Amino acid sequence: MGPHLTEDDVRGIAEVARIGLTEDELARMTVDLNAIVGSLAGIFEYDLEGVSPTFHPIGGLVNVMREDAETPSFAQRQALSGAPHEQEGFFAVPSILGEDGDR
Amino acid sequence: MMLGLASMTAREIRAGLLAGEFSAIEIAREALERVEREDVRVRAFLEVSKKLALEAAARIDAAVAAGRILELGPLAGVPVAFKDNMNLVGTHTTCASKMLDGYASPYTATCVQRCLDAGCIPLGKLNMDEFAFGSSTESSAFGPTRNPWDLDRVPGGSSGGSAAAVAAGLSPLALGSDTGGSIRQPGSFCGVVAVKPTYGAVSRYGVVAFGSSLDQVGPLARTVEDAALALNVLAGHDERDCMSQDRRVDFTANLGEGVAGMRIGLVRSFMSAEGLSSEVRAKVEEAAAKLEAAGAKLEEVELPHVKAAMSAYYVLGPCEAYSNLSRFDAVRYGHRTPGCESLAEQYEASRAEGFGPEARRRIMLGCYLLSSGVYDRYYYRAQQIRTLITRDYAEAFGKVDCILAPVAPTTAFGIGEIGDPTEMYLADMFTTSINIAGNGGMSMPVGLGCESGLPVGVQLIAPAFRDENMLRVAAALEREYGAALVAPGFADERAGE
Repeated sequence: MGPHLTEDDVRGIAEVARIGLTEDELARMTVDLNAIVGSLAGIFEYDLEGVSPTFHPIGGLVNVMREDAETPSFAQRQALSGAPHEQEGFFAVPSILGEDGDR
Repeated sequence: MMLGLASMTAREIRAGLLAGEFSAIEIAREALERVEREDVRVRAFLEVSKKLALEAAARIDAAVAAGRILELGPLAGVPVAFKDNMNLVGTHTTCASKMLDGYASPYTATCVQRCLDAGCIPLGKLNMDEFAFGSSTESSAFGPTRNPWDLDRVPGGSSGGSAAAVAAGLSPLALGSDTGGSIRQPGSFCGVVAVKPTYGAVSRYGVVAFGSSLDQVGPLARTVEDAALALNVLAGHDERDCMSQDRRVDFTANLGEGVAGMRIGLVRSFMSAEGLSSEVRAKVEEAAAKLEAAGAKLEEVELPHVKAAMSAYYVLGPCEAYSNLSRFDAVRYGHRTPGCESLAEQYEASRAEGFGPEARRRIMLGCYLLSSGVYDRYYYRAQQIRTLITRDYAEAFGKVDCILAPVAPTTAFGIGEIGDPTEMYLADMFTTSINIAGNGGMSMPVGLGCESGLPVGVQLIAPAFRDENMLRVAAALEREYGAALVAPGFADERAGE
């Protein structure tokens, strides 16, 4: 059986997962992911026709609602306390509009 | 005066405090000194919360001095340390990742808060595999923790710091988290009582999420009673974890009842599994014989679909991890690569730098498995497998009260011995199916393996929300084997001896 993923596939996954990989890392990751996906064959061993899926272990629990009540939450200062870069009370990020920025 | 904390249980520490034999501040000072002196060899701690420990101790002593003994909680004066994926205000929460290096906990996790409310002395934060991805604690960005029984070996993982801290007598209690075996396997490698309660028994609020349909928090201790005391504190509904259930019982209530009349199951496919070492198999058989001699009825049970558990787990875990770890955007918190020109570049560079190799692999794997066309082949099938495995356990527990099994296929392996990720995944071969079904499971130390001379744990598995069943069996085994020992070389002498 051939590989499950090519290097190009892995490049595409890295883009979606937002993880920048060098060409060397990409080659290594391709080998690793193929080995791991290859080890997952166990889930094809059973006939699953008509078996409904279970998405979590608490049987029958669908939606959990609580009362829509006001409770204390983070002050702005606290919410910003872990930000790698903040500016005037906001989370700062590089410009997101166009090649030359937005101003 | 030395209290000899290393060999004391949580119950003994609390009792000594209440009897006026020593003060909380004496406990805190000795515990902190021990960590400072001994942890250079083990490296279980990523951070020691000295200030918080001394403040908590002072509060307890003030209550004692004021005669408010009745207000003292069930963990009054008991040192507790926390896996570093649990938020505690006044400490950092790094998940042993460069991504969260320096991240100050903005709030306190419910499981940690419950320990604080019960009067514990918070000692600090414990090393782990990065974001809990691993079985050896070697993937920590801050270096591996060492097994106190043999410093050249791993303590297991991902809660390796938690197991090592307890085994080295640095803390009588520690909290860990278990997504596929991460409390139980290090418990087995380090020879401590390590409990993953039923999914939903303990709130995960404030614990950094890995696989949300699998994650569960639990205690590690040196006695079954201490673990049960901790569970009494931890268990219960929390509005902030919508999966948490209010199914509390007194987990200490039936520890002394013995196993006479209990039906205990052995899983044939586990006992004949390829890769199970003969010394671990021998220990499980020995434990079974002792339980039978103590009056339990042994029965063989079949779990016809657990063969697929490893595959299903390595689909479900990475898919959920991919989703959970997408929150690390280098904007609101976490590592940011400086000098990026665009937001996209900043995401990609920061996440590549911040996440280590195993975290990157799991994120990429999850992203792939959830992609269009692949989803139905893997993720959906894995959830169908979950239905079958859950059914297997439910049917088995129609016949038995508790299942006895291996925890890990081997005893602790050497640091650096396993390099291949898929080989490392085999460490979880007997534990993942329990997370998939959601049942409680624990590792109970049963002495040392006849070949390696290292600790071996047996796994006890309980019906959903009947965790007291496995604790009762564990207590019976403890009477046979004696309480778990502090690792040789870490025991201290009792005061006055």
